Amino acid sequence: MRTFSRFLASYKLYAIFAVSLMLIELVVEVAQPFMMSKVIDEGIVAGRTESIFLWGGILLGTTILAFGVGIIGSFYSAYVSQNFGYDVRQKLYESIQRMSSSVFGKHEEASLLTRISNDVNQVQNAVFMGMRIMLRAPLLVICSLIMAMALNMQLAIYLLIAFPILAVFLGWLMVRNNKLFRKVQEKLDQVNKVMQQSLMSVRLIRVFGRMSYESKQFQQKNNELRARTVATMILAELSNPVVLVLINGCILLMLWAAREQLNSGSNVSVGEIVAIVNYAMRITGALSMISMIVNTIARASASMQRIDEVFESADQEQDHAKNQSASSQFNGDISFTDVSFSYPESSLQTLSHISFKARAGSMLAIMGATGSGKSSLLQLIPRMVDPDAGVITIDQKRLDHYSLHQLRNNIGYVPQEILLFTGTVADNIRWGKLDATMEEVVWAAKQAQIHEAIMDLPQGYETMIGQKGVNLSGGQKQRVSIARALVRKPSILLLDDCTSALDVETERKLLDAISKLSCTVLIITQKMSTTVRADSILILDEGQVIMQGTHEQLMLQSTLYQKIVESQWGKEREAQWTNNNIKHELTAP
Amino acid sequence: MDEQQYQTRAHRTLIGRIKLFFIAPFSYAKPSEFLAQEGFGDESSSKGLGLGGAPGRAPERVKRPDQMWNTLKRIWGYLATYRGRLIAVLLMIVAATGLSLLGPYMVGHMIDHYIMEARDGLLMMLMLTALIYGGQALSAWLQNIWMIQVSQQTVYKLRTDLFAQFHRLPISFFTKRQQGDLMSRASNDIENISSSMNSSFIQICSSTLTLAGIIVVMISLSPILTLLTFIVIPLMFFGMKWISSRTSRLFRMQQKSLGSLNGFVEESLSGQKIIKAFAQEEAVIAGFTERNEKIRLSGYWAQAISGFIPKLMNGLNSMNFALIVGVGALLTLWTDSVTVGMIIIFAEYARQFTRPLNDLANQWNTLLSAIAGAERVFQILDEPIEVKDEQAAKHLATVNGDVTFEGVNFQYEEGRPIIQQASFEVKAGEMVAFVGPTGAGKTTLISLLSRFYEPTGGTIRIDGHNIASYTRESLRSHMAFVLQDPFLFEGTILDNIRYGRLDASDEEVYEAARLANAHSFIMRLKDGYQTELKLGGTGISQGQKQLIAIARALIANPAILILDEATSSIDTVTEIKIQEALQRLMQGRTSFVIAHRLNTITQADKIVVLEKGKISQIGSHEELSKQEGLYRKLVLGQQLLEA
Repeated sequence: MRTFSRFLASYKLYAIFAVSLMLIELVVEVAQPFMMSKVIDEGIVAGRTESIFLWGGILLGTTILAFGVGIIGSFYSAYVSQNFGYDVRQKLYESIQRMSSSVFGKHEEASLLTRISNDVNQVQNAVFMGMRIMLRAPLLVICSLIMAMALNMQLAIYLLIAFPILAVFLGWLMVRNNKLFRKVQEKLDQVNKVMQQSLMSVRLIRVFGRMSYESKQFQQKNNELRARTVATMILAELSNPVVLVLINGCILLMLWAAREQLNSGSNVSVGEIVAIVNYAMRITGALSMISMIVNTIARASASMQRIDEVFESADQEQDHAKNQSASSQFNGDISFTDVSFSYPESSLQTLSHISFKARAGSMLAIMGATGSGKSSLLQLIPRMVDPDAGVITIDQKRLDHYSLHQLRNNIGYVPQEILLFTGTVADNIRWGKLDATMEEVVWAAKQAQIHEAIMDLPQGYETMIGQKGVNLSGGQKQRVSIARALVRKPSILLLDDCTSALDVETERKLLDAISKLSCTVLIITQKMSTTVRADSILILDEGQVIMQGTHEQLMLQSTLYQKIVESQWGKEREAQWTNNNIKHELTAP
Repeated sequence: MDEQQYQTRAHRTLIGRIKLFFIAPFSYAKPSEFLAQEGFGDESSSKGLGLGGAPGRAPERVKRPDQMWNTLKRIWGYLATYRGRLIAVLLMIVAATGLSLLGPYMVGHMIDHYIMEARDGLLMMLMLTALIYGGQALSAWLQNIWMIQVSQQTVYKLRTDLFAQFHRLPISFFTKRQQGDLMSRASNDIENISSSMNSSFIQICSSTLTLAGIIVVMISLSPILTLLTFIVIPLMFFGMKWISSRTSRLFRMQQKSLGSLNGFVEESLSGQKIIKAFAQEEAVIAGFTERNEKIRLSGYWAQAISGFIPKLMNGLNSMNFALIVGVGALLTLWTDSVTVGMIIIFAEYARQFTRPLNDLANQWNTLLSAIAGAERVFQILDEPIEVKDEQAAKHLATVNGDVTFEGVNFQYEEGRPIIQQASFEVKAGEMVAFVGPTGAGKTTLISLLSRFYEPTGGTIRIDGHNIASYTRESLRSHMAFVLQDPFLFEGTILDNIRYGRLDASDEEVYEAARLANAHSFIMRLKDGYQTELKLGGTGISQGQKQLIAIARALIANPAILILDEATSSIDTVTEIKIQEALQRLMQGRTSFVIAHRLNTITQADKIVVLEKGKISQIGSHEELSKQEGLYRKLVLGQQLLEA
């Protein structure tokens, strides 16, 4: 809840003003039955026409005033609530963007999305309602009570009977409903998650013929949601009838008392009775509003808690760079000294005591078994994750010497999984360098061997790709994401097994192009065709460097490497083709 | 932005600050300006993350009345199952409405006759009134909870139908749609229907009834005062018209902006890694800000203007009240037609009179937005589903494994063939490798075999029978797939492997994992087979996912095995082991493999070389490497690199 008030604080004055405007309206409204009693007592009972005109006129005048004030208040309330919502959304999104990878990984994307859109909306609406009616209803009740008591204490006392009971009941309901709404929201999350997941794995479900199994799973979750919602709503809907019964009971009691007092000849006027009944009826109306408010608050605070969870978990990427000179270009000398790293949730060391050097402009190939820590190693360089121990330097300076921005701007990274965004091909490539000219985009595409494929697309570089666009093949997507990295002309290029879907020919051309660029290349690969071109090869196993050297060195020294080479080509085939064809192919390009 | 300008000025002086206070809330661009600017086309939905607009929702279609009626009829089709319940709800509405009208009447009556005239029998009257109030509360509660039960059942059904529909739609449907949009239909739009169905039906019925009831009672009490009450109706009508003509566009705009923001957030969350690595956080935040501002702008106006409605109602209410009290009082003095009790009753009725009108207006908006949501859901339900199995489709009980393609053609669009005249034959137990440049149609060819797509010409036979004569599910039950993307779902590793055969025992799962060489790495995880995999698949590497996918295919024990580049991201060390496992797996099974690596290909009994959708060469490795052609070139390319 502290977050809530922190966000609201910036608009405190506006909110106060909106509420005061509402109070003016309220005063007018509350005074109405009082004026009516004047009309009746001073006008009708006393038989004076001018009193009727006077009080009637005042009644009409204040009404117009209240209307005007209400309209202005509407703008102020909208201003506060929309800005509140805007700020929360903005801060939420920014803190998500600035989270470190490990914290971000703990959140579910679908749930973050719901929080940014759905939950913020709930709270925003509650804020708006808060200024419009949330105070209004209780105040209306209190003012009406005071007015009623001012009119006739003995009668009004009967109205008070119900309030302690109501207060306890509504308080209980609010706490209870908050919990229930949170559960409903959780169930909804689950249903949406199953739905989303099954949308993601539509193919899988189909190839395994698991439609009915999936449907059953979904129906179960869906049914839980239904049952939860119904149970919650039954309770939520109980508040209004209870309020009605209690207050109306009080009115009846009061009527009985009024009759008794009239009979006993005490000083009760008919006008007073009428006015108090009218107040009581207004209280009924306001109370049924309160029961709605109770539900809204319960719901909104459930949402606010969900928003808070994100804020609380949010951290900032560590960035205390000493050197802020932004745009200096790196040479690209990379060195790892005794670097160890493990993921926070796992007890195993992902990388242990890694040391190697890569000269500026050289190409280092990294090989290793699945799960040997290759991808983690690459992620250490742009500081997606930070090592537990050891020193990583670029150009002989430790990584934290550079600002994150400077560091990452010098790096072109192509991850293993392909992530392209909705937009045109050119947009996606330009993502690597927002101010890239079309020439630079085309240049990068040509280097990545994707230019011709792009030109074959219906609208060339302006073709929409991503979720809604043309479906590119896996290899094409890989090359677009390589072009995206190349367009920034990085000093360091990190390629995480991103040539897997390329055929041999295309891969060769791509590597040719990359080797002509003046950047240090770290490439994770399983292909011998790549490692033979590398200046140095690093073989990782279970987080440790087990072998390092050139292709020739490893062929001599490492039986493992020999085995790999063998498995990829096979001995006899090696012998079969090497001799006859090299010359022919070498002269060809 | 205007507003920022004001804010900087404001920080300087107190006067500036005061000025800001009064100006800021009114300094947004006028709706007419930005609505005209924005338009309702889909131009903004065509741009992508970080740079241009947003992947918004599909452009809203203009709603025609008959279309709306059709949607309403279909919603009714869902509701009609609970006809009995609905009738009960309706009865309760009638009861609650009648009783709520009777209550104030009784109070007025008691004041006039039992208190002022001091008649006997007040106690009886009080008890009667108490019963009326009790009945009103009970029936109000019952109508609500019954309606909620009905509406939640309906929403449940709608969700289930939508879910089932997603799994009946052809695969090509999903390549054309943004997942965020589909999700938004399944969640936001259905939620919208749900919340409005909870209240709208009751509100609309009871408002109409209340209105009619109040008018009848008022006329019977005093026609003059009734006429007086009606003065507000034209005022209300024009006021509401003025307001809703503005808000409906603003709300639509707000929904659209919200959709666009959702799409943007969804994509940027899933691309978080790239955003970080490219240090583009600021650019992405700027993109978000732009959309967030749009929401604020349209939201501000929508909320401010729709905020007029209660003010208008309140104002009119109070005016009505003043008129009734003033004129009523004069009438009491001048004529006998009006009594004090009557004034009280009228004052109360007049309050009750504007409320249902107000509710009707509000509910109308809610209803319209729910209908818009329902339309979006029905759009999906109306999509043509994957071609139904032919009437005579048989269950495919056993498969030997002979596969023949005879002149198979396939195209997504007329005139752009993907596969042309593909013919080849595979004997049971053989391994076929598909080779060819990226985009040659290898994946498509395999998709045709599993009937993700139907060939536009030619036939595919299994054991000599056209596969189109079998049901899809039974056909696929004899195949196992290891696809390019391993497709693991959220759940434990155990569950993921068992997905291949749901009734497999834990032991069988371990055995399959051992065969796929996944067992050792799984055992090294902290929670072993109980390790929860996340949706994004964080925690284990791509290669490990592949191993799990292979174990899953192993446990399915199929007659036909389909591997789509499955081995390409598994490291060579593991692959050596995998090769053995696959050798064992392929024993006695017909296997179709898409691979880029020579060593996989050389083991194939048959190699099919594809170029631009046509089969250019078929044969064994030995045969093909002696022929001039693409295969020889491919082999040479790799060979050259080695030297």
